[in-house]
Amino acid sequence: MKAVILAAGEGKRCRPLTATRSKVMLPVANKPILEHVITALAKNDIKDIILVVGYEKERIMNHFEDGIRFGVNINYVEQKAQIGTAHAILQTRELIEPDGEDFLVLNGDNIVGTEAISSLIKKANGNATILVCKKEDAIGYGVIVSEGKYVKEIVEKPETVVSNLVNTGTYLLNSIIFKVIERTPISSMGEYAITDTLQIMIENGMDIVMAITRSEWLDAAHSWDLLKANPILLAQNTEEKLQNGTIEEGAIVKGNVSVGQNTTIRSGSYVVGPVIIGDNCDIGPNAVILPSTSIANNVSISSFTQVQNSIIMQDVRINTHSSISSSIIGSNVDIGSNFISEEKEDLRIEIDDTLHHADKLGTIIGDDTVIGANVVVKAGVMISNNCKVNSGNKVHETIPENSTII
Amino acid sequence: MCGIVGYAGRNQAASILVDSLKRLEYRGYDSAGISLFNGELATHKTVGKIADLEAIIPDDLDACIGIGHTRWATHGKPETRNSHPHVSGNVSVVHNGIIENYMMLKEELIEKGYEFKSDTDTEVIAHLLHQKMYASDKSIDLLTSMRETIECLEGSYAIAALCTDESEKIIFARKDSPLVIGVGEDGNYAASDVTALLKYTKDILYINDNETGTVSPDEIRVFGQDGNLIKKDIETVEWDIEAAEKAGYDHFMLKEIHEQPTSIQNTFAGKLLELEGNIKLDELYLSKEQIKYLRRATIIACGTSWNAGILGKYLFEKLAGIHTDIETASEFRYGNPVLCGEELTIAITQSGETADTLAAVRSSMSYGCKTIAITNVVGSTIARECDSVLYTRAGPEIGVAATKTFTAQLITLYMLAIHLGRSRNFISPDDAKKLIIGLKKLPGQVQKILNRKETIKECADIFADRRDYFFIGRYLNYPVALESALKLKEISYIHAEGYAAGELKHGPLALLTKDTPVVAIATKGHTYDKILSNIKEVKARDATVIAVADEDDTEIEKYADVVLRIPSSHELIAPVLSSVTLQLLAYYTALARDCSIDKPRNLAKSVTVE
Repeated sequence: MKAVILAAGEGKRCRPLTATRSKVMLPVANKPILEHVITALAKNDIKDIILVVGYEKERIMNHFEDGIRFGVNINYVEQKAQIGTAHAILQTRELIEPDGEDFLVLNGDNIVGTEAISSLIKKANGNATILVCKKEDAIGYGVIVSEGKYVKEIVEKPETVVSNLVNTGTYLLNSIIFKVIERTPISSMGEYAITDTLQIMIENGMDIVMAITRSEWLDAAHSWDLLKANPILLAQNTEEKLQNGTIEEGAIVKGNVSVGQNTTIRSGSYVVGPVIIGDNCDIGPNAVILPSTSIANNVSISSFTQVQNSIIMQDVRINTHSSISSSIIGSNVDIGSNFISEEKEDLRIEIDDTLHHADKLGTIIGDDTVIGANVVVKAGVMISNNCKVNSGNKVHETIPENSTII
Repeated sequence: MCGIVGYAGRNQAASILVDSLKRLEYRGYDSAGISLFNGELATHKTVGKIADLEAIIPDDLDACIGIGHTRWATHGKPETRNSHPHVSGNVSVVHNGIIENYMMLKEELIEKGYEFKSDTDTEVIAHLLHQKMYASDKSIDLLTSMRETIECLEGSYAIAALCTDESEKIIFARKDSPLVIGVGEDGNYAASDVTALLKYTKDILYINDNETGTVSPDEIRVFGQDGNLIKKDIETVEWDIEAAEKAGYDHFMLKEIHEQPTSIQNTFAGKLLELEGNIKLDELYLSKEQIKYLRRATIIACGTSWNAGILGKYLFEKLAGIHTDIETASEFRYGNPVLCGEELTIAITQSGETADTLAAVRSSMSYGCKTIAITNVVGSTIARECDSVLYTRAGPEIGVAATKTFTAQLITLYMLAIHLGRSRNFISPDDAKKLIIGLKKLPGQVQKILNRKETIKECADIFADRRDYFFIGRYLNYPVALESALKLKEISYIHAEGYAAGELKHGPLALLTKDTPVVAIATKGHTYDKILSNIKEVKARDATVIAVADEDDTEIEKYADVVLRIPSSHELIAPVLSSVTLQLLAYYTALARDCSIDKPRNLAKSVTVE
């Protein structure tokens, strides 16, 4: 069976992190979200994968190449304009339709577990099968109204509670769908949505079935949701490898910690897992890395700095005496000494004039930003890409791209 | 990374194997070999590319069954005896992967009387297969012996094997290394990946970990770990050959430009000692004494490597205080070089096989100079002949226009210069540290350029129809001007010249018209003011100026028509960033002109003729 993964969209709600990479390439436990999806497929022995790419496709192609490193074969199809999931699926028609076989469709930006995929395949029936996930709070998600195992209606992001069965956007389809996609009208949102296609099928009396999963399905609606997925996937990281790097005498490493090649944890440092540290990193001396932290390749963390519950992307430098918690630092960021990210729970964060809720957040810093010494960032405040924050600043409101804060 | 292939059928195996191996060259190409069976087992192998293998295979081979291998050594030397297939009696084996417990197995096999001819881990597989088959009284078949063999192996492998006693089939096994089987009309195939087979068949069986099996002309059998026969569905692959190798990119050149954030990191991985302010170069066989008393260095190279060498000259002089000459290899060897024992010769060649560079290095060795090779190919001729080798570790480069190997050469030269400078106490640990931080920041900064490549494409499109292009730079930016002109001319066929900016008024200025774009590399540094006045000179002749400048430079836009921005960095390191920017300019210009980017007319990747 072939699998189509939708990886063309940007993920605007995850800005500033998605200004330079698409949402599928945001890292969780040092691997892009998309890699977790591909690994789950490979574990289900689904190795023929079609990636529908568009926004920042080079990043995806650089990482996955032809798929051999991940035990799969990847074919790339480009969706030139991101005008909806149905349109994206239609791009793969030539590769799918001649087989006449059922195929899987997954979102590249949702982490879906190995078991969830196998239960979808097992329960597949009718003309299409939708993987749904029971959630107590389904507000903000597309939901399914069902009768027994049959899907009666797909409701996009209802404002009142109509169902707690969330549509995961993971489907098992057969090639009939292409003909229905052709008849799918453009939605009020200006997109050709696969949910509209499925709704047409229901209205025409075709059987659309659902498969419920209890295993994990993680959707990063906002960038700070990555901080919720990170500990879950770090806990599953079984490749506990310390021997690749150098742990100097006097450094303490506890729990599930994995350290990449040519990485040095210098004397006096204290690392408590679950933590993953990539290749070519320089940690300490006397640095403290606390649980649920992912540190990508080529990162330097200087003396007396503490990092906890955070995602640090590649090529980042964090100077001495800094404290970073519940934060995401984009790649190629340079942070001066005595940087402090405050952390707070239950925050309301304003993006594009609407308020969004975050359980807990320090800060989010976009790629290529340079921060001077003695900078303090208020909880929930973000600094976008390519900014310069000069020394001594107190950042208490979100800073837009390419700004300089004197 | 290595690649394996196998064929059992009714056609001539040798040509199919060689052709399939060529498709796997992107997985490495430092040595190659094949084993064929036609009444007896014949093995042909050699150091070099697949073309070199092709040259030593006799034409009149009728064998219809065989296995083959292409190697890219990461440890140990590529020598003919280390290349695959490895033979034990009547058994021949090719392998991709790493056998972790091979030392232990090797000792056991030596005790049992097996003689090892190579330093590889793979040879134990050949001997083990042979031993399992013939050592005991019970006679077992090759497949059973393969199963017993892999039980002894720890590590990763994709194996294909031939044995004269079961001459009609190939036996395979896989764990953690890729392997696919192709189903054809005139025979069946095995390969490390689908690209090797697409010319012959699109019907593929994917082999999973711990599976073993046999490939014969009319039958393929796959067995699970438990030894039971597995029914596999044939899957039809839809991609064309080129696209598969390029993983979605239109050209290898673009793919390789985009690989630079990773390849740069691979070049310096494990060598930067930021806290100490030094570079760890264990592979440099020069004592501190020898470094201290070095009187002069000569860099020998051709083409792109020569451009890298000019930067090397400036770096050795600035950071290590060593007088350095830069020589074109093809000229040096026919001149009358004056050299002596306290001198250092540094040869730069991507392939390690450039004929002129090799000859020039040999002649400098005859004067007793210490020699250092900077090359991308492990165990290449230059690596074997020089006293020390610094590998650039950029990975295989397929596009003829050098991109990631050029930046890797620059990084290697920075590291060597800093190391020499620190050993001679010519620069302070703190100055070295600043440079090291600069190097560490490069991968992220190169990525930043790639993120903003649209501006470069727009610029390329505007000037793509021009007949001539000039590139000017001063000091460290002079080699960038030369290299960028070379890039542009080799792939877009636009006449392009690189000049030291101060040289313009000594002649070239006469060529400028309003239709000539002049790319001025104007990054911040002590020649910045000088290049600004050169830009004014050019503007006075109505030519269009494209400036490459730091992102926080607000002065430059007053003089230049188009500004391509690079991230601000250490003055000495900016050439790497300017180079990447101008690689993209060349690429997009060639793209707009619809040129054959990966294989420009009249050019070859590695020039092995004089």
